Amino acid sequence: MAGIFVFSEDSALAGQLLTPALALKQSLAQPIVAIALNEADAKALASLGADKVVVLAGKWVEGLADAIYSQVKTAEASVLLVGGTLRGKHVAAYVAAKLNAGMTTDAKALRIEGGKLLATRVLYAGLAVCEEEVTLPAVATIRARTFLPPPASATAATIETVAAESDTRVTVGEVTSTSSEGIDITAANKLVAVGRGFRKKEDLKLAEDLGSALHAELACTRGVAEDDHWLPIERYIGISGQTVKPELYIAVGLSGQVQHMVGCRESKVIVAVNNDERSPIFEAADYGIVGDLYEVLPLLTAALGK
Amino acid sequence: MPKCLVCYKWTLDEQDIKIKPEDLSLDSSRAKGKISDFDRNAIEEAALLVEKNGGAVDALSYGTPTVKQSLKDCLSRGPEKAFWIGDASAEAADASVTANVLAAAIRKLGQYDLILCGEGSSDLFNQQTAPRLAALLGLPCVSFVNKLSVEGDTVTATRKLEDCVENVTVKTPVVISVLSEINKPRIPSMKQVLGASKKPNEEIKIADLGLKPEDLQPKAVRKSVKGFVMQRKNVIYKESSAADNVAKLKASLVSEGLS
Amino acid sequence: MNFELTEEQQLIGQSAREFGKQHLEPIAVELDHTGNFPKAVVNSLAKHDFLGLVLPAEVGGAEAGFGSYVEVIENLSRYCAAVASIVNNHTIAAYTIQHWGTAEQKKQYLPAMAKGDILGGFAIFEHGPTPGVGPDALVAVKHDVGYVLNGKKAYVRNAGEAGVYVVFATTDPAAGAKALTAFLVKADTIGIKIGEKVETMGLKGCPVADITFDNVVLPETALLGAVNEGGAISAKALAIASVAEAAQTVGIGQAAVEHAAAYAKQRVQFGKPVATLQAIQTLLAEVATDCHLARLGVQNAAVLIEEGKPFEVEAAMIKSFLVRLGSKMLIDTCQVEGGFGYSEFMPLPKMFRDIAGTNLLDAPGDFPEKLIAASIA
Repeated sequence: MAGIFVFSEDSALAGQLLTPALALKQSLAQPIVAIALNEADAKALASLGADKVVVLAGKWVEGLADAIYSQVKTAEASVLLVGGTLRGKHVAAYVAAKLNAGMTTDAKALRIEGGKLLATRVLYAGLAVCEEEVTLPAVATIRARTFLPPPASATAATIETVAAESDTRVTVGEVTSTSSEGIDITAANKLVAVGRGFRKKEDLKLAEDLGSALHAELACTRGVAEDDHWLPIERYIGISGQTVKPELYIAVGLSGQVQHMVGCRESKVIVAVNNDERSPIFEAADYGIVGDLYEVLPLLTAALGK
Repeated sequence: MPKCLVCYKWTLDEQDIKIKPEDLSLDSSRAKGKISDFDRNAIEEAALLVEKNGGAVDALSYGTPTVKQSLKDCLSRGPEKAFWIGDASAEAADASVTANVLAAAIRKLGQYDLILCGEGSSDLFNQQTAPRLAALLGLPCVSFVNKLSVEGDTVTATRKLEDCVENVTVKTPVVISVLSEINKPRIPSMKQVLGASKKPNEEIKIADLGLKPEDLQPKAVRKSVKGFVMQRKNVIYKESSAADNVAKLKASLVSEGLS
Repeated sequence: MNFELTEEQQLIGQSAREFGKQHLEPIAVELDHTGNFPKAVVNSLAKHDFLGLVLPAEVGGAEAGFGSYVEVIENLSRYCAAVASIVNNHTIAAYTIQHWGTAEQKKQYLPAMAKGDILGGFAIFEHGPTPGVGPDALVAVKHDVGYVLNGKKAYVRNAGEAGVYVVFATTDPAAGAKALTAFLVKADTIGIKIGEKVETMGLKGCPVADITFDNVVLPETALLGAVNEGGAISAKALAIASVAEAAQTVGIGQAAVEHAAAYAKQRVQFGKPVATLQAIQTLLAEVATDCHLARLGVQNAAVLIEEGKPFEVEAAMIKSFLVRLGSKMLIDTCQVEGGFGYSEFMPLPKMFRDIAGTNLLDAPGDFPEKLIAASIA
């Protein structure tokens, strides 16, 4: 077996995958092969440490799963790392099945131990953390921002373009972009998250004002996005939403259930504002104020805005 | 008149699982079973499709022998018949074993137009079953669906991805995984609950699936499981004056270098 | 000896709990403040077959046993006991028609009641010393076309919202209660006047009012059961109602102790969560114990009812137990939550008022201890 394969249709995430790939390369002494969807990405990955890049041309990412499998299988790769976007997870699981391989989803850390891939991941909606040992060849998906991209280290990488047969059974019709605001809360340094303690949509202005004073982005719990539709789904933090790691996370009027906290619990400092002293959020916070958000927020905005 | 099969998992309710403070290990002794949340959405979606288009819904589950406890619950939610594999191998089964077993069972059960799954299970959330099944069965897979319709042999689905909404069409048979936002699972009415015991269920024995021993060997093995405990400072300000609390918080944030 | 719920009972309880969470929890506090009859919720209850739960399939009921019924009532009561009261009073009326009604009467009312198109009410009590005795007693005088009713019924629950009332009148004032006779009275019958809604202490949302009968003419076909059979009918119905109400008490108590326990784990005083303090532990332990034992008593009585066995003594025991210790569950949990839980926007104050109501309601005979003592001495 030879080869540590990396793939993500998301260029930035693909670059980040090279960091754990380089670590695995140290243990396995095998070359890193990146799969890219275009020349530009290929060059970028080459400059970050890929030994070889294979460019697969194809329109629908999921439709390239067979082609990716083909590459991985031919090289008899030991590990396939896939960017943990939804598309990536689809492709990764498909390829894993064809390889008859084990797969670990959303690995937070990876290493080789005893000739197997050892990965750390979350279970039970965030309640527990486990270590999973996967025999090689192994597949793992890694979510965005789990790793930083490695420093540039150009190798004598070969870039090869391969004609890929795409799965034609699925016809892709209209694709509507939803990142209309272009806001990526996962990139924000500071976040103000709102929950159902706010009585109506207009009241979110209090949180927006605090956000402006702090130069923080607005985020929310699942209910505010999916049930009330007060904020777009891109701002929802939680087990099936975004995961963030900001410097400062201010949770206002939200109770702090595990399904939400799993998305923000790696924040450097967590602050809570809630009028219910028994709310689980206070257990998960570094600092907190027990009080009515309608009273506290304007005062906080004034105090922190200076 | 689509013939649908829903694959579901009988899981432990993660809300009942406690973390033992002495060593952070998990105590599931009081955890009750439940049909995995996202699978409820899959069952509901199949039931809705059949209510609209005619056809029938079967359900299939692979688990330890406790999976028998799930049958009436499942049958009260729309399916006409439940197939189940209750085997000790499920205890340590990883996604590859689960897919091997389910695929073998599906090959035995015959042709279905749609095979539906939740996007992931509520306990382990591996999100692998649907694409794996598709690969093993040689079928197309449409994942992360939040809107689904069928007309004849054509399935139209809307996929909700991080940055876009994608509309796809595909001919049956197809494997689909659904998002929780696709529907709101019904609360089974009293008649639906009581009617469940009149619906048929059938056990499929693992030995009858023609699997090799290596197909039942997990490739991903859980080595250690520890409860996640938040270690935070827990400095809570609860003076009667909001202004006092705000002043104290500001001081704390300044000391953290955040203000 | 099997103390476990059957699979069906578990799933029925699960549905009731989910229903409570989805439909009752969001409206409970508001309902307590407005007391406005929750029509939308009652329609949803009907859709889930909760209103015909124990009625036979041929009238459109779910034909579930009484064990399932108390499971539903307990779970609904965890979220809003007032709604459980509406269901209980409706169900007792339907039960009475099911057991003593003629084929015609059953056909006339039960399918509509199972669907929730008509709600039932049960008019037994009066302001006088016992039903059938006193100046305001409801008297039914035989007439060529049937009966003429005059008098007043008190504390009728679902009053004003019910489509049919099971009404108990005496056909012989001299004999008083011994001549009690049951009638089915449609809500739109001429001469019926629903009195002013009583502003009750709790269980708000389940309407309570007096009903005045002013020369109300009823045909022969309105007679339910035999003449003078009303005493036996009401005794049986009230005995079953008392078990159903005990299930409400248990549901409220369970919700209260869970809420107070969650509070105690979070509330820190003297450097530790108050849940670690012996005084708090004692309060919570007693409530949890009483609630657990009461539940077992309710389930035991329910099984006896399901099996058609004598259950009146067991029902009286549960009633006696909860009259003594029901409100204590809320006194104690309110003590645990202290000043923090004392706000009307917190759940416990409403539960405190609600649970008191469940102990005042129907009971078989004069008072339960009399029946219990008679069974052993």
